[in-house]
Amino acid sequence: MKNKSQKTLEKTISKRFFLLSIFKGFVVGAIGWRFFDLQMVENRKYEKLSDENQFNYHMIPPERGRILDRKMRLLAGNMDGFSLVLNWDKNTNVDDVIKKILTVININKKDLKNFNYKINSEKKNISKQILITKKLSQKDVSKLAVRNIEFPEISFSMTKKRVYPQGIIAGHITGYIGPYSEQDTQTKVNPVSSWLEVGKTGLEKFFDSDLRGKFGRKRNEVTSRGHVIASQIYEDTVSGNDVQTSLDMGLQAFAIERFERGNNTLVSTENKNIKKHIIKTKNVSYVNKEYVYLDKKNRIVNPQSGSLIVMDVENGEILCCISSPGYDPNIFSEDLETNKWNNLKNNSRSPLLNRSMSGVYPPGSTIKMAVALAALEGGLIDFNTKFYCNGSKELGTSTFHCWAKDGHGLLNLAEAIEQSCDVYFYELGLKVGIDKIALMMNKLGLGQYYDVEINDKSKGVVPNIEWKLKRDGLKWSLGETLNASIGQGYILTTPLQLATMVSRIANGKSSISPTLMINNDVNRFEPLKINPQHIEFIKKSMERVVTGKNGTARNYKIGSKGFEMAGKTGTVQVVRISEAEREKGLIKNEDRPWQKRDHALFVGYAPASKPKYSISVVVEHGGSGSSIAAPIARDVFKYIFKI
Amino acid sequence: MNYNHNKFSEKSLSSIFLLKLSKVDWLIILSVIILGFVGVTSLYSASGGNWEPWAKNHLIRLSFGLTLMLILAFMPPNLFFKFSVISFCLGILLLILVKFTGTGNVQRWIKISGINFQPSEFMKLALILILAKYFDHISRVQLEKLTTYIIPLCLIILPGFLVISQPDLGTGLTIILLGLAILFFVGISMKFVIISILIVTSSIPFIWNQLYDYQKNRILVFLNPEMDSLGSGYQIIQSKIAIGSGGFFGKGYLLGSQSRLNYLPEKHTDFIFTLISEELGFLGSISIILVFCILIVSIMKISFRVVPLFSKVVVFGIGFLLFLYLSLNIGMVCGLLPVVGAPLPLISYGGTSLLTVLIGIGIVLSINIHDKKYYEISNIY
Repeated sequence: MKNKSQKTLEKTISKRFFLLSIFKGFVVGAIGWRFFDLQMVENRKYEKLSDENQFNYHMIPPERGRILDRKMRLLAGNMDGFSLVLNWDKNTNVDDVIKKILTVININKKDLKNFNYKINSEKKNISKQILITKKLSQKDVSKLAVRNIEFPEISFSMTKKRVYPQGIIAGHITGYIGPYSEQDTQTKVNPVSSWLEVGKTGLEKFFDSDLRGKFGRKRNEVTSRGHVIASQIYEDTVSGNDVQTSLDMGLQAFAIERFERGNNTLVSTENKNIKKHIIKTKNVSYVNKEYVYLDKKNRIVNPQSGSLIVMDVENGEILCCISSPGYDPNIFSEDLETNKWNNLKNNSRSPLLNRSMSGVYPPGSTIKMAVALAALEGGLIDFNTKFYCNGSKELGTSTFHCWAKDGHGLLNLAEAIEQSCDVYFYELGLKVGIDKIALMMNKLGLGQYYDVEINDKSKGVVPNIEWKLKRDGLKWSLGETLNASIGQGYILTTPLQLATMVSRIANGKSSISPTLMINNDVNRFEPLKINPQHIEFIKKSMERVVTGKNGTARNYKIGSKGFEMAGKTGTVQVVRISEAEREKGLIKNEDRPWQKRDHALFVGYAPASKPKYSISVVVEHGGSGSSIAAPIARDVFKYIFKI
Repeated sequence: MNYNHNKFSEKSLSSIFLLKLSKVDWLIILSVIILGFVGVTSLYSASGGNWEPWAKNHLIRLSFGLTLMLILAFMPPNLFFKFSVISFCLGILLLILVKFTGTGNVQRWIKISGINFQPSEFMKLALILILAKYFDHISRVQLEKLTTYIIPLCLIILPGFLVISQPDLGTGLTIILLGLAILFFVGISMKFVIISILIVTSSIPFIWNQLYDYQKNRILVFLNPEMDSLGSGYQIIQSKIAIGSGGFFGKGYLLGSQSRLNYLPEKHTDFIFTLISEELGFLGSISIILVFCILIVSIMKISFRVVPLFSKVVVFGIGFLLFLYLSLNIGMVCGLLPVVGAPLPLISYGGTSLLTVLIGIGIVLSINIHDKKYYEISNIY
């Protein structure tokens, strides 16, 4: 009995039913599409986010390789260190905990400042481990560990600290490590591990990738509140390789002590008179705390600065490489204090400079062998060519003096080397010309870089006509040739280059180049290509420097048969001496201010009969080569040959 | 409403029961059991592979609810017709009572002999029943008059605002939407619908001012979850991560990292579907949505078929309620809707909503079994 209205009602309801069904279908479709989008289209993105939630990746630093000397003595190694860590979450009362810790141990202010900064920048509510200090002694650890019930919030972690047991002795060679920074991008490390320490200088830098090893990775599964519920190592760490150097630390230690002493005397600071003396003395900037040096006039002086290198003339191994003053690389293993750093950086004697390879000096008379060889090889003179020395050489309007005011008289090449006659070499220089001299210097290893395992090196300067034209746009003058012939003027060498030069002469056959690695492969060197007779003659002349009756180093014979050294002294003027000064008579070296004193040099080798080791000694402002550099070289050889 | 039982008076009780049994819509019961089972297994996973504290309780409640559902299914629909006014009044009374004696920091639950329950959930059923009764009662001619709708609107708005002021925006909005859908269903004029939509949109600023800060915040964060990635937006972001990382096949049952490591808040109640999506993937999620669709479509088919207006409206209302639950909850977890707090029927942990849904389905089954047309058809055989 359906009436009309009922029919319309049914119609309306059916229509509405239909409309609502469409609506519902639309909603379900939207949901389905949404799930398709989230789970199928953007799955990768969310998988990554989920992974980031689930896991916390930690880099595990590998143990850095050691650096050893030729007898496996440790130059750089690792020591266990302890870090103090706060297990922080938002309910921790940080100030209370720190106050409590400070009643038990001391934490340095800088660490506390860093820590507070870290805490304040912690915005997330997720709990976290925050480093308080890295410098925790064994004592501090036990003090805190005993009372660990009072400190539930803290924990310890083991870290490795880089140590250099040799300290200041080999600082320039080992170098030091420091936190990775943007400048080290060539080392290509993951920026995540920004706390990674990399080599900054020296061997640590050169062998950084070898020493560093490979990072391991640990994966922690963490809950939303930061609790670690599982931990697995998923990449093993690979420890760094050890690096063995050719250095002999016994020799190095002896040499640095001998070098720094020079001709001065060592006095303990315990002495009461000395204590008073120290207070009065002001210009000494580099005083060791336990002893000081007194010069002949009883003045407190700095240790000698400069460099000393001992090389094996057969294979180029560097046995000893000192640069004084040095620095202790251990100070870089801790957070370096600013004033300590500034002290090092601004010190007038630049302890950070590795003089052995980066320091450049005029070689002075030590260059004379090269000039003589250039003349002999050029066939311009023979072994008996003689020149007359009357104390000076006139060239145009200027006068070039010999170191001996009254001259050496008539002498031949061997005598000229023995007595280091300047006039003889002025004549040679004029005969040979600067270009040929420069070629010989290059042949002997000057004015070039070597493949030695230290990144920072100087090239030095070996001038020639072209060089001057390029640099100044000026013509080369003959006077400059004269200066170059006695190792003054433009010419600059590093102590390592001098050692290499003398090694090549002593070896006579191969172009020895220096290395800090143990390397028995002698055949890697190219032949020297100098007439062996000429070399032999020069070597004989160098022997006469020590053994001859007029030799400049005649006072410093080793005095043991079969082990005698041969060499050449050098004294380099630092300031130009005017004619007027020369008339008045020269002021004695030790009476001049330190900076105006001459550099003292000695290059040599021993045993003279069968060369094994070469040496180069550069004493900055040390006086004359014969009086200070030669005795140091002699004592070092004596130490080597145990005489 | 007048069902003629006389035809069966001669038959024995058992044969009546068997006849009724044959009329049961097994598809509905099967879907309900599947979804309930999914709920138990998901809750087992939510607690990290434990029966405690949720899965066991859910199973117990589910068995109780299913029994109640079947009992209701064999009750004559007259019963619901009679009880509709009483249940509505009781619901309103409880909603007022909850204001004073409510437990929890938001006053949603009421404690009766040790069991916490949420009157707002029952209110949904009561609203369906009273609206159905009202429209059935009103002369059918009057359905076209606008004035007819004044009383139903009051019936909707009264509980709606009571619930919203608890405060429980999600449930309150569900009640209002449900009521409005029923009004729309019975044929309120389109003009009125359009006009009221205009009124509502223009009154949004006023409603905005009435909202609590946390409710405003939820809506703001919904519009831009990254605004507060560790605060209110956290839930949505983490939920999306969990769903998205599930992929097609999911991370595997019990292996969802987001839920296991507590990145999902409310993973046992409102965000249970996120856990399912993470562990069972797109395949699992879509299958479960499909089961829900089967359930809703089966209910809607009954609503389409039954003739009496009361039955029609009640079955439609319950079907639409399920649809609302489903779309609000899933829309919320996947970031299509703001986090308003809507449980997923049959799966989320929570006794009241589970019971509400099962009672509702019991009523649907009852209406289906006692449908006149069915009797007539069945009598042919």
